[in-house]
Amino acid sequence: MVNLTIDDKQVTVPKDATIYDAAKAAGIRIPILCHDKKLHPFGGCRMCLVEVEQMKGRQIPACTTPVTEGMIVRTSTPDIIQARKMVLELLLLKHPIDCPVCDAAGDCDLQNLTYEYKVNANRFTDEKFQHKIDYENPLIERDMNRCIHCGKCARICDEIVSYGAYSFLNRGLEAKIGTEFDGPLNCEFCGSCVSVCPVGALLSRPFKFKARWWALSKTKTVCSYCGTGCQLTLGIKDGKVLTTIYDENQGFHNGQLCTRGRWGYQFVNSDKRLTTPLIRKNGKLVQASWEEALSAVKERLFSAKTAGGESAACLVTPRLTNEELFVLKKLFNVALGSQNIDHSAGYAHNALSAGALESLGYAASPSTIADIQKTNLLLVVKSDAYETHPVLGFEINLGVKRKGVDLRVVSDKRGKLSRLPDATTYVHKPGSEVLLFNAMARVIIGENLVDAGASSISGLAELKNSLQGYAPEKVAEACGMSADEIIVLARDYAKAEKALIMLPLGLGYPGHGKDLAQALINLALLTGKIGKEGCGVLIMGEKNNSQGAVDMGVYPAKGGKDAVAILDGCAAGTVKTLYVVGENPVVSYPNRKAVEAALDKVEFLIVQDLFLTETAEKAHVVLPACSFAEKDGTFTSVGKVIQRVNRAIAPVGLSRSDFEILNALYAACANTQPYADVAAVFAEISENVPAYKGISYAGLGENGVIWPAGGTPRFVPAEGGAVQGESGKYALLTGSALNHCGTLSRFGEGPMYVCPAGYAELSYTDASALKVKNDDLLTLKSASGEVRLKAKVSARMPQGVIFAPYHFGEESVNTLTTGAPVTWVNVSK
Amino acid sequence: MEQVLFRHNKPGRPVTFAEYQAEGGFAALKKGLKELSPLEVQQAVIDSGLRGRGGAGFPTGKKWSFVPRDLPGPRYLICNCDEMEPGTYKDRVLLEANPYSLVEGMILAGYAIGCEHAFIFIRRGYETAAMNLRRAIGEAREAGFLGRNILGSGFSMELDLHVSAGRYICGEETALMNALEGKRANPRSKPPFPAVKGLWGRPTVVNNVETLANVPSIITNGPAWFKGLAGIPEAAGMKLFCISGHVRNTVCVELPLGMTLGEIIDGPCGGMLQGKKFKACIPGGASTPFFTAEHWGVPMDFDAVAKAGSRLGTGGIVVFPENTCMVAATLNLTTFFARESCGWCTPCREGLPYVREILTRIEAGGGETEDVEILREHVKYLNYAFCALAPGAMGPVEGLLRLFEDEIREHVVKKRCPFKN
Ligand SMILES: Cc1cc2nc3c(=O)[nH]c(=O)nc-3n(C[C@H](O)[C@H](O)[C@H](O)COP(=O)(O)O)c2cc1C
Ligand code: SF4
Ligand code: SF4
Ligand code: SF4
Ligand code: SF4
Ligand code: FES
Repeated sequence: MVNLTIDDKQVTVPKDATIYDAAKAAGIRIPILCHDKKLHPFGGCRMCLVEVEQMKGRQIPACTTPVTEGMIVRTSTPDIIQARKMVLELLLLKHPIDCPVCDAAGDCDLQNLTYEYKVNANRFTDEKFQHKIDYENPLIERDMNRCIHCGKCARICDEIVSYGAYSFLNRGLEAKIGTEFDGPLNCEFCGSCVSVCPVGALLSRPFKFKARWWALSKTKTVCSYCGTGCQLTLGIKDGKVLTTIYDENQGFHNGQLCTRGRWGYQFVNSDKRLTTPLIRKNGKLVQASWEEALSAVKERLFSAKTAGGESAACLVTPRLTNEELFVLKKLFNVALGSQNIDHSAGYAHNALSAGALESLGYAASPSTIADIQKTNLLLVVKSDAYETHPVLGFEINLGVKRKGVDLRVVSDKRGKLSRLPDATTYVHKPGSEVLLFNAMARVIIGENLVDAGASSISGLAELKNSLQGYAPEKVAEACGMSADEIIVLARDYAKAEKALIMLPLGLGYPGHGKDLAQALINLALLTGKIGKEGCGVLIMGEKNNSQGAVDMGVYPAKGGKDAVAILDGCAAGTVKTLYVVGENPVVSYPNRKAVEAALDKVEFLIVQDLFLTETAEKAHVVLPACSFAEKDGTFTSVGKVIQRVNRAIAPVGLSRSDFEILNALYAACANTQPYADVAAVFAEISENVPAYKGISYAGLGENGVIWPAGGTPRFVPAEGGAVQGESGKYALLTGSALNHCGTLSRFGEGPMYVCPAGYAELSYTDASALKVKNDDLLTLKSASGEVRLKAKVSARMPQGVIFAPYHFGEESVNTLTTGAPVTWVNVSK
Repeated sequence: MEQVLFRHNKPGRPVTFAEYQAEGGFAALKKGLKELSPLEVQQAVIDSGLRGRGGAGFPTGKKWSFVPRDLPGPRYLICNCDEMEPGTYKDRVLLEANPYSLVEGMILAGYAIGCEHAFIFIRRGYETAAMNLRRAIGEAREAGFLGRNILGSGFSMELDLHVSAGRYICGEETALMNALEGKRANPRSKPPFPAVKGLWGRPTVVNNVETLANVPSIITNGPAWFKGLAGIPEAAGMKLFCISGHVRNTVCVELPLGMTLGEIIDGPCGGMLQGKKFKACIPGGASTPFFTAEHWGVPMDFDAVAKAGSRLGTGGIVVFPENTCMVAATLNLTTFFARESCGWCTPCREGLPYVREILTRIEAGGGETEDVEILREHVKYLNYAFCALAPGAMGPVEGLLRLFEDEIREHVVKKRCPFKN
């Protein structure tokens, strides 16, 4: 610790603190323009100048200067104020000062400081710049005339996003932030640069001219896309969500978001939203009143109940709040007497609901997000972890670049993570993950790298036995890796002081189920890497409340039907009433043809959704639901974080929150009083769900609560076989595209601008063999169907492997798949 | 006069490896590596009073002593041969005549700080110098003066030449390191200083060509001898002065530190050009405040020049005759600096072009009385820039305001340049 004096105040701070940090700790505000707590100090703007007595009163920047013992600092002498005024005057020399038409006005550091320092904006006069404004992309407007050269955009894109879209070009006055060859911006469009730009040089185009800053009201809530659980601030005017607002103090991610979180909010006020209930009359869905729609629904549910409940089933999305899921589950289990309730096609939660539950004693990750930057070795299963959870990708980037985390990517293709400094990527054959991790476990046992504590965990002998057939030499070929690589990876993992495994889940990853999770947990248990900081397995649920859906037990209990059985039941006529809440199985569940046939067959289909989805189009009754922005409740994200979702706007049209709808149906079907409010449900959850015991709705606060995990771990052998290729066919892998999450992001203009449709990504070698180039149409044909997708030729794909994202309704890849980890397809032009 | 750096010079051609050795070259290397410990080499340089010849005049041995020695991992030495300061060309002259003193000096410096890889960062366009250096490095390597286990001392060092992509800012030591790393040549913030965290984050010493080339003679002849070379007791050693402008002989000469300005101009330069009278000069490269006739007797050494309100800098003297418009002269220099600003920090990026703007206006007769005050503000606040370029650029402007304010005011009042008919 270092002691110093700032403006006559004594301050004690850690020795790596800067004067700026120390002043902040002492409650003294020093103005900044180029400094950002997330980024390496820059020192360019010279706004934060202070005087240090020991340096003979010389003015030095607070943001880059480390503290030293006994330093005596002054932060606002007349001379310093004069120097800051001068900085502002110089910045305004070339700045267009076009605040009347600048969306940053009101939220602009330059404007605010100019005002604060009472700067005369025209004492210095000179010609202004005439840089061309970059309007080439639909999301980010780049007006370099307004740029103050703080470098934050270039730094965040490099340091945290690891994309590197920007760099300084030219010298002196001509210096400017440029893109590759000074061309139009073409990047990931995460929007981080827009967030940190202190002026209006980088602006959100979808928000352009939508509202003045001071006219916006703000609501803090949680992103409703992926399981990362990023905190959001929504900007609202006239009952509409107009933008997301950057708040550098929000969440573990300091306000950073990905494309979906930053620009995907547009689905909330999309004009495609359902605004009234619909009822099928004469084969057509027509508008109906809530009374009419609900009574039709109740009637069906009552008759199902009377028949014993088994004929009713439910497929629900894990995008609902915990409270909604809890009430829905009660509606089925208690009120109707049906155990037929499931989500995420059944397999996208298996890793947690079956794998972790059996192996750890609780259905969740033993680790938290904070462990990513605290570990020594990070083993990421599939490079796709970046695409599925981009902001966790930022955490990985930071861990690797700032903390020296040794990154090992075990994947069926390369990806952005593979390009991080010193990252090692092991490209294996599609579908061979379990084989590979079992072989690693065998090496660990064979080389006596097992942690002493492992012997007290039950099932070790069985595990050892089960691994007989997994010698690295034996499985190497099936994995497409050399035995040596497997051995070295196993050793490095075992010997690392701290190691964390990350496993993304999702509808696009049918192979990421129970066995894979258990194979990974076995590795962690064998090497004593569970229950310690920076260690464990982080199982990354796909959706905003994937973990919550598992916590609420929204999957079939004994005797109940899982998603596949429910759809089979629809097809066979045993399920007569299907209630689909927020899921879109037609597009996202495997085997579209079979799903459609089942839905066409079921006697009565109720769909509750925000949009008239491909699934809703088949419904008998459609109930318009609210988005997350219209709701109160809680989501539980990756790492077991329960966070509050706060209502920002009134329901759109006549839509009702899932809570309101389900509460009413539950009360009616169970013949009981409805819950008073969301908090009342949460109170019941904390009584009934052991993990949530003692946690109160009010007590969640701004940053939520991590529910405490505890259980008795055991070794459970995981089964993994070699995936048999089919000659002449390509291995099709499905998954997530960077800018999308599920099928919801299709209704956000932002993600759709960047990635408007599905594609088939293939290697250069395959592309040249097939004589295709980017954007040529490819026909992919599997045993269950055929689709035509645009080709995307890329260096990351191994030969013989094709990747296609699953989010899109047209030419949807689930036409080809049937739920196997790998689908074999014929490909032609 | 005793010559140290120019001792081996041959008329019209560079000295050869054989000649240099025959004349006692590389004796210092042998002595240093075989008879002295690294700390003893460093101590000799400290005792000699050698100060950096790159512009700032920082004591060289002291700079070396900041390098942490017990830290595992590499340490680096960089020779700064960017030499882009207008009015400065001494390193070129030296290297075109003799690349060996530098190579020898670098090996000794490397030995002193425990450097395993040294670099020479040379200005693009210094082709003859680069050619000489390439040859010299090859010869030294062949002779076992570079590479593994030099002269059986157990000390190993590699030496490579890097040709700059060409920007004035590349000469600033931290920008230079960025450039060497293949990054954009922006300066880095200090602290941490290069001696602690430099090239690739490792302890690094950056020294000027002339500084390093002086090291062999210090080792051979001892610190006391070196000190005694200077013309005044407060100074130490010889200095290369390169003079340009309106003198009879525009030469680069090696002179004892402490000779007065007048002695230099009247001596080796042979006085002013026929019919010209001395008005002012830049005493130490483009970034130093002017001297006028009143400074004729100032001893040309670091402290004495500083006391007289300027800086010895690089020893690049540019002489202006009586009919020179000092506003125009300053404008010329400012134009250079404004163009060469790297653009990183506000005061320099925005301030220098504005100073250029104001000087242009004044020179063209459009200046206002307030401009003097605005220039003064710039001189003051541009000092707080990110690196030394902007404060350096303000050197001549500061001199202009202090010594030639009347001339500025005359422009403003007459609404034209008084030196143009
Ligand atoms: C803008 C700028 C340009 C510089 N250019 C040079 C140069 O060309 N050569 C040089 O030796 N030093 C140059 N310097 C000084 C170096 O930063 C550094 O101080 C010097 O190389 C140290 O060597 P010395 O200690 O031997 O003087 C420059 C400094 C600045 C601020
Ligand atoms: S949007 Fe994201 S990826 Fe694109 S330039 Fe900005 S920070 Fe970089
Ligand atoms: S565009 Fe914005 S963030 Fe980037 S350097 Fe300019 S002012 Fe800073
Ligand atoms: S989609 Fe996921 S990563 Fe992106 S902002 Fe939302 S929660 Fe964060
Ligand atoms: S003073 Fe000039 S050259 Fe130095 S960092 Fe600032 S802008 Fe760049
Ligand atoms: S905030 Fe410190 S220099 Fe910009």
